[in-house]
Amino acid sequence: MEVQKEAQRIMTLSVWKMYHSRMQRGGLRLHRSLQLSLVMRSARELYLSAKVEAHEQTEVPSLPARSPDPRLHPLREAQAAAEAASPDGEQPCSEPMDTQEAPRAEETPARCTPHPAKVSRKRRSSSLSDGGDAGLVPSKKARLEEEAEEGASSEVPDRLQPPPAQAEGAFPNLARVLQRRFSGLLNCSPAASPTVSPPACEGKPACRPADNMLNVLVRAVVAF
Amino acid sequence: MAGAGGGGCPAGANDLQWCFSQVKGAIDEDVAEADIISTVEFNYSGDLLATGDKGGRVVIFQREQENKSRPHSRGEYNVYSTFQSHEPEFDYLKSLEIEEKINKIRWLPQQNAAQFLLSTNDKTIKLWKISERDKRAEGYNLKDEDGRLRDPFRITALRVPILKPMDLMVEASPRRIFANAHTYHINSISVNSDHETYLSADDLRINLWHLEITDRSFNIVDMKPANMEELTEVITAAEFHPHQCNVFVHSSSKGTTRLCDMRSSALCDTHSKFFEEPEDPSSRSFFSEIISSISDVKFSHSGRYMMTRDYLSVKVWDLNMESRPVETHQVHEYLRSKLCSLYENDCIFDKFECCWSGSDSAIMTGSYNNFFRMFDRNTRRDVTLEASRENSKPRASLKPRKVCTGAKRKRDEISVDSLDFSKKILHTAWHPAGNVIAVAATNNLYIFQDKVN
Repeated sequence: MEVQKEAQRIMTLSVWKMYHSRMQRGGLRLHRSLQLSLVMRSARELYLSAKVEAHEQTEVPSLPARSPDPRLHPLREAQAAAEAASPDGEQPCSEPMDTQEAPRAEETPARCTPHPAKVSRKRRSSSLSDGGDAGLVPSKKARLEEEAEEGASSEVPDRLQPPPAQAEGAFPNLARVLQRRFSGLLNCSPAASPTVSPPACEGKPACRPADNMLNVLVRAVVAF
Repeated sequence: MAGAGGGGCPAGANDLQWCFSQVKGAIDEDVAEADIISTVEFNYSGDLLATGDKGGRVVIFQREQENKSRPHSRGEYNVYSTFQSHEPEFDYLKSLEIEEKINKIRWLPQQNAAQFLLSTNDKTIKLWKISERDKRAEGYNLKDEDGRLRDPFRITALRVPILKPMDLMVEASPRRIFANAHTYHINSISVNSDHETYLSADDLRINLWHLEITDRSFNIVDMKPANMEELTEVITAAEFHPHQCNVFVHSSSKGTTRLCDMRSSALCDTHSKFFEEPEDPSSRSFFSEIISSISDVKFSHSGRYMMTRDYLSVKVWDLNMESRPVETHQVHEYLRSKLCSLYENDCIFDKFECCWSGSDSAIMTGSYNNFFRMFDRNTRRDVTLEASRENSKPRASLKPRKVCTGAKRKRDEISVDSLDFSKKILHTAWHPAGNVIAVAATNNLYIFQDKVN
């Protein structure tokens, strides 16, 4: 749970940084955006895997189910150590980020590998490489809004509200989408979770909502 | 008390003491953003020291000739020229402001009486000529001494103007402007050893220019993927080999460095050598990817080695061995457990530079709390020094500093949590021939020299 909250916090922070970096003089910096998106991806994977674990632990309280994937073999020892350590409540909130998530982050791709190539094929028509108007094409925007509404957005933190009011420049829609996506994420109600966490075996379709977010964020990079 | 050996030190003396020499810049607590130094560079002889700041200004210091009456005091650096290199611009197409911050300055080798340097901001590179004027012509025919035009009908005799000495005036004039060649933000420029060409690198592309030609450049590296969503790495720094005019390196955000040979093909997307150290799985963490990003790459003066700086360490590579570095020096390993906080306060994105001593026997890089680190490659000793106003008495020796990581703090040590992360030393430079170093601490430039024993 701690790990999940920490991952959420990092994700929110990263989105905020990404948005804030647009407001800087000199505009969006490609390297910084890339680094932020890497952290966001890691946080997302951690969050998703932690959520899956939470699911599993409620379903199978005796043993957490772990498919012995041969690819993950080198990490299993580290993971076992991490699992043994996680019930230890002494570790401060921020530390798990640095030591424990690596095995989990590695494991998540095995479950629901995001396929940027596959997703991007569908989105190619909305290519932003011309760098001009970087607004989302209507069809994608409609779908994102629809998905966002699946999650209740009752609890939007204050700090996410000012940005849409200031939304300007190349991404008037991005800020709104980001706000809606994250209001869904931050909402702790179960209604929000289907949009974000995929059940273990339904790989790609359920992953796509989170993928969209990452793609939307990458598009901030694309426009430059 | 470990100092750093270097060129110019008397034979047998490897016990160097770094001493404070000078500090330039305002003492105010309130630092204007425009005054923050963003680049420092000695010229080829070391007599000139250039700094660029976030306000787009370049300040050049010149070393005074050594005074015979005071043989123990080395030449001091005094302001030689100040000029506004870049102004803020606006890109109307993208609705973006282009910062005037000087990202890099590189000197050209001196070929005549004037000095030349290249300075760049995010988008435009400029070649500046810095020339001295110490004579003035007097006795013009068509104008008075105060410059007013004379009435031609009043001129009854002709005279030849005579050159008379005047107070030294240093003029800087832009000779070339290399613009509109970079879509992304320029991070590096490097002058070639042929003294005719130079490269400029942005996040995804590297261009080759001729110093005389401003309307054309050749693209020699292009890392832009066909689909930007597949972007995984960007170029972070690039430099030409000091002797081989066909060789250059560029580093990436993934912690890899590529050496390219321009003789092999016109477009050097495929590398000749690929330098990457396999990641240690035991040290892998959430922020591993971003701290492995290389912020600076520098060839040694000999051309045999190169050095890369990532967030926590500096590595020396033998150009003949791609599999792993020959040396790895930890700069501030105690920060590894603090990466999450450093991400929150954006410090994890700081781009530290590094430099070689003139003889390549030592390397230097910056850290936080106005600390900077020196590593002696021969004695394998390292030292942490501090650039601070408290240690600013003339010729005062710098005391080595120590950061304590454990619970027990010794008297002179500073604990990790007390470090001031707003005081960062990103830019340092080492005199090409002697033991003089320039360290930029926010808006102040510190100059340290070794003590003449």
